[in-house]
Amino acid sequence: MEQLLVPAICKIEKIIDETPDVRTYRLKINDPAKMESFSWMPGQFVEFSLLGHGECTFCISSSATRKGYFDCSIKRAGIVTADIHSQLEEGMDVGIRGPYGNWFPIEDIKGKNLLFVGGGIGLAPLRSLIQYCIDNRNDYKDFTILYGARTSADMCYKEEIEEWKKNPTVKVILTIDKPEETWKENVGVVPKVLEEVVKPAIENTKVITCGPPIMIKYTLVSLDKLGFAPKDVITTLEMKMQCGLGKCGRCNIGSTYVCKDGPVFTYEQLKVLPDEF
Amino acid sequence: MNLIFETDKAGLQKFYEEIIAKFETYAPVEKFEKFDYKRVSKLEECNPDSPIPSTMSVKPLFFPKTAKVMKFQEDSSGTTVSETDEDPLAGKRVILGVKHCDARGLQVLDEVYKWDYIDTDYKKRRENTIILSTRCDKAGTQCFCTSLDYDVENSDAHDVRIVNGLDGKIYIQSVTEKGENFLKENSSQQSVVGSQQSVEEIKKHYKSFESSFRLKMNYKEVNEKLQKLFDSPEFDPVSSNCISCNTCAFICPTCHCFKISDEKIKDTGVRYKSYDSCNNGYFTLMAGGHNPRPAKYRRWRQRAMHKFVYYKERFGVNLCVGCGHCAISCPVNISIFDVVNQVAK
Repeated sequence: MEQLLVPAICKIEKIIDETPDVRTYRLKINDPAKMESFSWMPGQFVEFSLLGHGECTFCISSSATRKGYFDCSIKRAGIVTADIHSQLEEGMDVGIRGPYGNWFPIEDIKGKNLLFVGGGIGLAPLRSLIQYCIDNRNDYKDFTILYGARTSADMCYKEEIEEWKKNPTVKVILTIDKPEETWKENVGVVPKVLEEVVKPAIENTKVITCGPPIMIKYTLVSLDKLGFAPKDVITTLEMKMQCGLGKCGRCNIGSTYVCKDGPVFTYEQLKVLPDEF
Repeated sequence: MNLIFETDKAGLQKFYEEIIAKFETYAPVEKFEKFDYKRVSKLEECNPDSPIPSTMSVKPLFFPKTAKVMKFQEDSSGTTVSETDEDPLAGKRVILGVKHCDARGLQVLDEVYKWDYIDTDYKKRRENTIILSTRCDKAGTQCFCTSLDYDVENSDAHDVRIVNGLDGKIYIQSVTEKGENFLKENSSQQSVVGSQQSVEEIKKHYKSFESSFRLKMNYKEVNEKLQKLFDSPEFDPVSSNCISCNTCAFICPTCHCFKISDEKIKDTGVRYKSYDSCNNGYFTLMAGGHNPRPAKYRRWRQRAMHKFVYYKERFGVNLCVGCGHCAISCPVNISIFDVVNQVAK
């Protein structure tokens, strides 16, 4: 066990400021052989160590189809994340364990229309899947991304969103909570835009959603209203985790280990879990 | 067939002494009327036949209270991690005086440590340990092992068991193959190989032991009722006295939650893995402030349901073994027996 808890040392290749409180850390494992064999599926997570400060759980926000690096997008939210933001610079070392957990059901969603509904930092796990699907674009049908943030400054991956917009096979719909002078896209919360602007076809469509709890709550209501079956709605859960190995006992919801059986669940699976997340 | 030896008090003492002289041996050692398993070098230091269950479970000998995960060092060239010098357990060892409940606790723990990722240190410690149990003559005030989902009489959680017969004789019986081999190699010369009569005497002892229980419950009924009682308002009153001290979890033979923490001085540091508990308010607290179990009743619900429902559902065994350690040591007298029976009444 103890050996399983020892991280691999990674170099920070690049730090990208996404929003005032979100940064993306582009990482590469120092040992070339380990980096070569390091592979993951969209939706999986890693344990990220700032040694001496602690370990945190983050999803990998890039896709393994983009070789030679992996991204973790980190929002400043607690003690360790604040230290990560204030102390880490490009070229410094961090520790990584993983990848852990299950992943988005990429086989199930093949041949379907995909609707991504993201809010704030919730776009991070979706981005891994979006990149993966764009790199295997022929496997999927219509491709719609609805992304909302509190303000335009709070939008992550701004440059990448511009690329997605330029892609003729991808439809991107953006929204912010309140009007801003230079903002030309939608204004309003995600569930409202989903119902009034996106108006998705439910036939042969899978919805993949992630965002703050309040957004998820009302998005699920909207999706239900639009007629989506719970088995076609996929989300990824955030729970306190430490070991990532199904041992330390933190992430349990009933007899489910979120770190092993999740973090990706369909709404149908979540419905039968005790209400404790 | 299992090996059975008949002996008397002096013979048993000799048997123990031979083991202690030959092996790395652990046994219950008393301090301030509390018992904990310690390394012993003489029989006088310990009490393998202590009349009461040990205060601390045998768990720390397999899952240490604190273990070093690694060391790390930072310098101008970057960060390096290195293994600690701790050896998970190189040689064989013997534990004396383990109670049936405690030994069962290890069988229960095996399930979580061997599913998916295997905890190799734990496994090594288990494989290298011979467990000699002493069956209690009578139940303690908080004991309820006979009420749960395992067969205490025919338990195979220990390798060798020692039973004080009602006829005044002491029986040493091997239970597992490991135990049988151990007895063959280490049986005291004074012992006499037992017969069918010994088996009857061991059974008689169990009958008398079984009739001494104050606490009894219908496990199947409690388990089935609890499955539907996630929203029971009863979790609030039963947990209201709890001071979240975590004693129950630390001394429990089966609680296995842990935390990972770093200690760093200047450029060097150590990462530790140490006991934690779902009774801690911060246990599930996430960065940003969200906590799925902010209230005490939610944490107690997790504790009770994990013990009596979730683990059973997942791994097929009940996570509580009915040892009563937690109730004996709780500073505010909360008993898991009372909690589940109150909620499932």
